[in-house]
Amino acid sequence: MKRFPPLLLLAGPGILFILVTLILPLAAIFMFSFWRTESYELYADWNLDNYRTLMREPAYLVFLLRSGLGALATSLICLIYAWPVAYFIARHGGRYRLLLVLLLAAPFFTGVILRIAALQGILGPGGLINMALGILGFQPIAALMYTQTAATIGHVYLFIPFMVTAIYLSLVNFNFDLLETAKVNGAGPLRAFIEVTWPLNWIGTAIGIVLVFIPCLASAVTPRFLGGPRATSFGMSLGQQFGETGTWALGSAMGVVLFLASLAVLALMGLTVNLKRSGFTGMGTR
Amino acid sequence: MPMMTERKFSRRCLLKAGTVGALGSLVLGRPGPFISRAEAATPTLRLLMWQPYAIKETIAAFEEKFKAKFAPTFFDGNSEAFNKLKVGGTKDFDMVMADGFWPRLYFRQGLTKALDYGKLTNMSGVFADFHPDKFKLLADEEGKNNVAAPNCWGGYGITVNTAMIAKEDIGSIELLLNSKYAGHFSTNSRFEENIALMGILAATKLGTKDGARPDGKPFNPYNLTDDELAETKRLLIEQKKLLLTRYQDYDALERLMRAKTVWAAPEFAESYRKLTVLKKEGKVDFDVEHVLKPKEGGLGWVDTWMVSAEADSERTELAHAWINMFLEKDNYVRVVRSTGYGGVVDIRSLMSEDEIALYFQNRSAEASQLHMFDQPSSPEKWERIWSDVEAS
Repeated sequence: MKRFPPLLLLAGPGILFILVTLILPLAAIFMFSFWRTESYELYADWNLDNYRTLMREPAYLVFLLRSGLGALATSLICLIYAWPVAYFIARHGGRYRLLLVLLLAAPFFTGVILRIAALQGILGPGGLINMALGILGFQPIAALMYTQTAATIGHVYLFIPFMVTAIYLSLVNFNFDLLETAKVNGAGPLRAFIEVTWPLNWIGTAIGIVLVFIPCLASAVTPRFLGGPRATSFGMSLGQQFGETGTWALGSAMGVVLFLASLAVLALMGLTVNLKRSGFTGMGTR
Repeated sequence: MPMMTERKFSRRCLLKAGTVGALGSLVLGRPGPFISRAEAATPTLRLLMWQPYAIKETIAAFEEKFKAKFAPTFFDGNSEAFNKLKVGGTKDFDMVMADGFWPRLYFRQGLTKALDYGKLTNMSGVFADFHPDKFKLLADEEGKNNVAAPNCWGGYGITVNTAMIAKEDIGSIELLLNSKYAGHFSTNSRFEENIALMGILAATKLGTKDGARPDGKPFNPYNLTDDELAETKRLLIEQKKLLLTRYQDYDALERLMRAKTVWAAPEFAESYRKLTVLKKEGKVDFDVEHVLKPKEGGLGWVDTWMVSAEADSERTELAHAWINMFLEKDNYVRVVRSTGYGGVVDIRSLMSEDEIALYFQNRSAEASQLHMFDQPSSPEKWERIWSDVEAS
């Protein structure tokens, strides 16, 4: 009796799920991007106009650049902040390590809108910081709210747990005895970090960067609520195409561009990772 | 016997039985032989509507009276709801809301069906200004079918903190471009109202508003010429430098105005009404004024109820019952107090003098002087302009 290979039976539901929830919508978006919208109607007139518009109209390039720079700034700030935190937990957390990492996830117990509303209450014109400054007799800081800076602060707050977790997971598998060896061989703490700790944990850092950079690139809610009139992001503009303006075809082309940009970032980060040197054991080739 | 058991519960056997069962369920249109859908017993009215009209007490009274379930889905702007029905089809909704010219567009596109005004007995309490013979947009172009029933009305006027803005600067759209008040303006984030309102000012400045129009029709800020659009874009970019933010909801605007951070903002008069009440209660120390129709002209809206083209007879009846109940005077007092919008039903006998003024109960005739919300002549062109403004 011919039987289904067990692997196929096991993988079948997963493959079906990915097909229905990821591949098909992506294929639809890709197809729509070559169509045309007119007065809220989608016409299957195959053309490249949407891509031409995205390349020729400076507005969309500005949105992409604004989002890219915002994502880069957020990733760098998260990286600088996350490394010492993750290092401290991994090295000195002892039996509280898991608890400390779980605490990082505490903000996720509430929704993103609530977290942004809380930030508004802290950073806003009548928020906690400016109120305190007023009581102390100082002028309020206008840049705290409705600016690109405010959007970046929001992104850092929202995404930092991803970066810390990724770096921490890399560090818990790191053999800290190697630092002793480096020390015995004459390396100072900085040199040991640059030549041993950093490269051997680069894979965790790279994953952290990807986990922060890509959602930031597509982010729409944070800049919408915190960013002000000069912080319209690529994600915000993209969302508008599928809502208010009903320009689905252009929105789809923007979606494809965003997807390709994310893939490029992923590929770029992938190229920087040396699996053998990083101590990664998931490929089974060592 | 063991053989029989093995055969009975083999994987193939179970798969076969499952497939046959699933197919059977699909064919019979029900989830299983012993399960019947709840809506078979309780009819459900599915609405695509603006959230402020989902008033808890009204819904509870409706569900109680008609033994029906009220299932709302909310949207923000007209185009969003229209897109939902146009792309997703009308089968998922029995009723939909819209304002301005949109009900005609819905009807023309076959998304909604004509209403039977004979079933809306409470239309007798509605101001004459909001009956289809006077407010033409409630009927189709030929005037043969009543395509929508009125609900609430208002404008997209400018709410001003009169303690901060000089009296001589109030009354014109130009206020929103006055650099004296830089950093203290806020507009909403919707492209349609921003472009249309500034379009009125642009056409006034260019002197094209009252002249002959290319389409031979009277001026409509939703149908601007290329020159007017270019001027509108210029003005919006100029205005953007003076904005503190684009508010996302009325609570945010109210907070900003209450904190005296924002001094003037075009809005649907919700914040104006809230701040007026707060002033009376002594909770704010400044007066607010709402310019419904700036001297160059203003935007207006009359929210309406429509019945989806695919609503079956039972749900069509329910939809009429809902509209009728909504327009009933006692309920309508609750509606205007809850939403803060202008009332189309004459409820002056049930309100105080202050409330009559607040809810525009004596100003229904002004609705016809406003440019009603409409579909942009070219959403694609408007989108490009808005993107240029947002990227500037």
